[in-house]
Amino acid sequence: MSRVRRRALPFPADEPREELPPPEGLVLDARLHLLDRQVLDVDGRPVATVDDLELTTPDGGEHVDGGDDAVVRALLSGPVLGTRIFGGRPPVSRWHRIGWPDVVEVGTVMRLGVRGDGLDVLWVERWIRDHVVGRIPGGRHDPE
Amino acid sequence: MILSELLDSPVHDDEGRRLGFVVDVRLALDGPVLGLLASPRVVGLLVSPHTGTSFLGYERREDQRPAVLGRLLRWRHRGTFLVQWSDVTLVDDGAVRLAPGYRRWSATLRRTTS
Repeated sequence: MSRVRRRALPFPADEPREELPPPEGLVLDARLHLLDRQVLDVDGRPVATVDDLELTTPDGGEHVDGGDDAVVRALLSGPVLGTRIFGGRPPVSRWHRIGWPDVVEVGTVMRLGVRGDGLDVLWVERWIRDHVVGRIPGGRHDPE
Repeated sequence: MILSELLDSPVHDDEGRRLGFVVDVRLALDGPVLGLLASPRVVGLLVSPHTGTSFLGYERREDQRPAVLGRLLRWRHRGTFLVQWSDVTLVDDGAVRLAPGYRRWSATLRRTTS
């Protein structure tokens, strides 16, 4: 990634700039305040981390063009370890969506108003519980 | 569209001059109410002339410690500005183009969650 040389900038880097009038709602920066945050379900159990965000038009249109109003419609979680090391993005089919309507609190962690058991994002954990751990003797009850 | 299509993208003005890279996307919780919360609306893009990466947002606040690290990171991100989403005319895979007469706003972040 090549940087923009100071003399090549079409504006002075140290120019004074006004602040944008503050919007009505809470202001967040996506990378700073949302990405990589832990997601907890209604019982406080960890569900996922926020790996990406789905942006749509306010009426749900998937195609967002420059200048169109855009809102966050869902939190996305997926297999990003490889792509963060080697670059690129996981295919769309590998993302797990957590719809914004399920979010009830945005803070140091993201809290959901639903139980994690009903979310697609935990299907691997459920499958391993039912098909692997559950078949181990003693795997279906608490330790005594 | 997903957020990572925007992050780190080079930003050009209407004459094709490179202005920097998208280091973050500013949101405001004042969009349509979905569930209990208003959905986050895209307010604008934070553009850094020098680097496509960001670290803890030092360039957006002035009161963070340690001061030496803060000064170093603010210097690295000198010239970072906020451009309103309405001034973005084109978002293509890996490129963002701004409208003629776009305005550069301060990148300062006043209200945060943490």
